[in-house]
Amino acid sequence: MPVVHMASIVPISQSVGANRIIPTVAIPYPLGNPTLSPAEEKKLRRGLVEKALKALGADVTEQTVF
Amino acid sequence: MKLELHKAPVRSLRFGPQTTLENDVLVINQQELQALLLEDPRLAAVTVDLAHPGESIRIMPVKDAVEPRCKLSGGNEVFPGFIGGVETVGQGATFVLEGATVLTTGRLVAPQEGIVDMSGPGAAYTPFSSTCNIVLGLTPREDVTLHEAEATCRMVGLKAAHYLACRCKAAKAARVEHYAFPPLAEAMAAHPGLPKVAYIYMLQSQGLLHDTWVYGVDAKKTLPTLISPTEIMDGAVISGNCVSACDKNNTYVHQNNPIIKALYARHGKEINFVGVILTNENVTLADKQRSSSYAVKLASMLGVTAAVISEEGFGNPDADLVLNCVKAESAGIKTVLVTDEYAGANGASQSLADSCPEGTAVVTAGNANATIVLPPMAKVLGDPAQADVIAGGFFGSLRADGSMEVELQAILGATNELGFNKIGAYTI
Repeated sequence: MPVVHMASIVPISQSVGANRIIPTVAIPYPLGNPTLSPAEEKKLRRGLVEKALKALGADVTEQTVF
Repeated sequence: MKLELHKAPVRSLRFGPQTTLENDVLVINQQELQALLLEDPRLAAVTVDLAHPGESIRIMPVKDAVEPRCKLSGGNEVFPGFIGGVETVGQGATFVLEGATVLTTGRLVAPQEGIVDMSGPGAAYTPFSSTCNIVLGLTPREDVTLHEAEATCRMVGLKAAHYLACRCKAAKAARVEHYAFPPLAEAMAAHPGLPKVAYIYMLQSQGLLHDTWVYGVDAKKTLPTLISPTEIMDGAVISGNCVSACDKNNTYVHQNNPIIKALYARHGKEINFVGVILTNENVTLADKQRSSSYAVKLASMLGVTAAVISEEGFGNPDADLVLNCVKAESAGIKTVLVTDEYAGANGASQSLADSCPEGTAVVTAGNANATIVLPPMAKVLGDPAQADVIAGGFFGSLRADGSMEVELQAILGATNELGFNKIGAYTI
């Protein structure tokens, strides 16, 4: 079953063996950013989720950072 | 830079009409100290209690520990950016009330503060069971925000520590320790044949009340920098840390950093100790990459062959520790890492959140997930109800008889990653 790992510290995603990796914003707010307006933050979040969905359907042959 | 530490021993505490040091007894004018601390308009109330080694006293939740120090000579006061101005410290002479500790406590930012037991099985796990403690119970005013409350309590601890030392500084020190940090040109030429060694000193800087201050500057907003170890002894690094108690570096531990002491003890004999590099532990990958590269670059500029790297905290900072290790080793600098472990109650799980094959020399300060039952104490200073919400506590931690089952994580300094621990182990 394909899995996407969304996390802010890519080297840890790599060391735990994730195959599809989406780098996110920061450890306390991986899918948000308190410095943005709510509208901008929603855009950021949607963008990351859409990227993750695309990564889910992608063929990978090795650990890949999207 | 040359610094003398004039150490006057404190073997006991009592309240009295005048704050002074009499035959190793620190006498404290309770009203004067309270009135001084209540000058801060953000505080509603302050209590001052005394706790000695061996007494049936539990102190919780403890925010910070501070050793009373003040300057005798050398310009700027201790704790630059807070008590002293922002000019350079680490020179001249500093008076130390050795054996006394100011502990700040009360209902602060409860989930991540710690426990100090003055006797019983828990006492063995905290270095502050063997000091004479001036315990400040702090109640910020209700309209003070959480971050302001933390800043208030941080400042009050420093103020009390400085006040106690200032009032006693006429006392004769029992011993004077001498530390020197020469200009780099001299340091580089000294001790030919001995390996040059630096210390990469990681500071907690995750934000959200996990913060450290350097000369009054928030460490998360700094690039890694060089600092003289004598500046550290004068309180250039201050804890503003509300994070798991076992492995946060409180201000006392910075003032008395055992890694710096150990490097000095071997300086000129086994190694040439040429520098301390402060670096941070921020929350984005870019920050971690930048700081680790910059810290290792400074070590390379010093031309060291080896570095000791100490971590503060766990989880997020494990990534910084590993980046520092990998980059230093890739630059030809041998590393020794000092950390602790979160390996589950039975010790069988992965110890760190990240790992690397280059990390071949690691010192562990223990497993913070190991549990301990702390028996009831005759007296509790602070707020025992916090046991359920303290990091390392869990629902039901506080039992009806006053005993508690907690992880070592909840005990102040239990797995300190500078090695400021009371319990050790050797492989035989």
